[in-house]
Amino acid sequence: MVSFAWLDWFWLIVFIALMVVCGVLFYRLGKRSLADFFLAGRGLPWWLPAASVYATHSATDTPMWVSGVIYKYGLRGIWYTFFSAWCAISAFASTRIFRRSLAYTQAEWQTLRFSGLGAELLRGWIAGWQVFMNMFVLGWVGMAMGKLCHYLFNWPEWVGLILFSSLCAIYVLAAGYWGVVMADFQQGVVAFSVIIIVSIWGIVAAGGPQQIIAKINSLGESWRLNPLAFSGWTSGDFPLVWFLTMLVIAVIGGFGIGTSIDWYPEAQRIQSARTVRDASYSIWAGSALIVVRNSLWAVAVLAFFSLYPRIQSTAQYEMAWYRLGFEFLPVGLVGFFFAAVVAIHISTISTHLNLGASYATRDLYQHYFRPRASDKELVWVGRLTTLILLLGSFLYGLMMKEITQWLIFALWIMTAGIWLPSILQVVWWRFNAWGYLASWMANLGLSWLVVWVLPEFRIIPVLPDYLQFWIMMVLGALIYLPITFMTRPEDMNRLVKYYVMSRPLGWWKPVREEAIRRGLLKDNEGKLAGGQL
Amino acid sequence: MKWIKIKWSPEEADRWSKEDYLTFILSPLIYFLLALGTIWSLLFRWYGWVTLAISGLLLWIMIKIIDPKLKAISRDYEKKQKQFLEELEKIERWEN
Repeated sequence: MVSFAWLDWFWLIVFIALMVVCGVLFYRLGKRSLADFFLAGRGLPWWLPAASVYATHSATDTPMWVSGVIYKYGLRGIWYTFFSAWCAISAFASTRIFRRSLAYTQAEWQTLRFSGLGAELLRGWIAGWQVFMNMFVLGWVGMAMGKLCHYLFNWPEWVGLILFSSLCAIYVLAAGYWGVVMADFQQGVVAFSVIIIVSIWGIVAAGGPQQIIAKINSLGESWRLNPLAFSGWTSGDFPLVWFLTMLVIAVIGGFGIGTSIDWYPEAQRIQSARTVRDASYSIWAGSALIVVRNSLWAVAVLAFFSLYPRIQSTAQYEMAWYRLGFEFLPVGLVGFFFAAVVAIHISTISTHLNLGASYATRDLYQHYFRPRASDKELVWVGRLTTLILLLGSFLYGLMMKEITQWLIFALWIMTAGIWLPSILQVVWWRFNAWGYLASWMANLGLSWLVVWVLPEFRIIPVLPDYLQFWIMMVLGALIYLPITFMTRPEDMNRLVKYYVMSRPLGWWKPVREEAIRRGLLKDNEGKLAGGQL
Repeated sequence: MKWIKIKWSPEEADRWSKEDYLTFILSPLIYFLLALGTIWSLLFRWYGWVTLAISGLLLWIMIKIIDPKLKAISRDYEKKQKQFLEELEKIERWEN
């Protein structure tokens, strides 16, 4: 337990008040239109969505997760966190393509890229899945806060879960994405500053870099100091083939749309940027900050390991970075630290509340129930669905126990079978809605089968996660590729419109030639045939 | 850097070119070096600072390569965005 002095409470109360008021101040902007409530009017300079990318992906459970993998695997555990590198290519490939589509959400993008019944089924499916997924994320992040508050103040876990999410909901309900992004900027600055302070404080508390290195060497565990200490090509607990698989997933995944679960919040930030250039830089810079943040945490957790090297319980060593802050910072700064933790927490909560509501409002309510609803009505529906998501997240949160297990499953396995189709839908004109839909359905079944059901019945052994990924990718392709070829290509009118608007990269020659033939694009000699979209 | 195109017409900027492909190589490399450079620097290894410096240099080169093209794409697209938004709303309202 941690005891707060009056100065600690002062920091906490001032910070929470500032964050909530900062969000609520944008009430008038948020209610102007649907585009304001969910995309801040599509007019933000790059550094605002960049701060939001960074703040959103710094959640209460993130330092627990990073602590878990670094404490267990040493510095090579940093590569578990390197999945965010998908933004390295995405910022200049899929971000550009998606920003030009102007779709509010990825679900909406499906009906611009594809056409007919398949596209509508896909949109409905992705929207419904995203409403569920955002509630799920809200639940697990909220529960991480519940656990932290239990550790710090001995509060029952549900108190931390409900209290801070509810405070955050005040400004999300009032100002929508305007409130989210403005509070995110403030929270991002506070959180990054505190991550630097606490991590360096922890390193100093452990005696400084030389002492940490000496201590770890004396324990006979010098491999922990090497981020590239692989245990062999395929053998051991950290094989090189795992690392290469992760690099392929992360880096090549940047060419696709929807290759990572982080794509969905990023899609909202991309569309809120005022230009294509702003969208690219926001995604790149926000993720670069995440990469640096993870490295800061990694060295701090290494410092913690040098102080407490024999912890066996995952639940205990997942608290490594938090313990550095709460056990070593002086009185007065502890409250400042906790206020930053609250900032980290509510920046993630606010994003997922608004994002989940955007799928429920734009993709489900407006598109399928009330296509001609006014902006005023849609903003109110956005608020109502925000509230429903908040309440649903409390229910999910109370059902969850193990954070690391869920996160690794979600990051690695749940996207394995749709990773390649998510790229194909961007780079290959012939890939159609039925193929993509089939890949989703196949993945849902295959992931449970390959990861849990078949090993449980001893039909196959428990496979390493990198093998699970490749197996699911191949098995999935055996299902969705035949379906793609057995069904018709998308309607050429839709493809031409999409191509002219988004200019995707990859294999689009027949569509490009048709667009030139219709006079919508200039040919390679710069001549225009003349025509209408 | 004469081998890098600075002035782009709207049509040229809309096509994927060597500037894009170079950026696809540089960008993940910068992330990789940032991750390692930060770790090694915090552990007071000299090569950490060198790695960070290289990542900074590569970042500068990457922006020099891609920024003129991104500016050209953005300028041209802004002119068409209003029409595209109207199209989008028609699809949303089942009018198209």
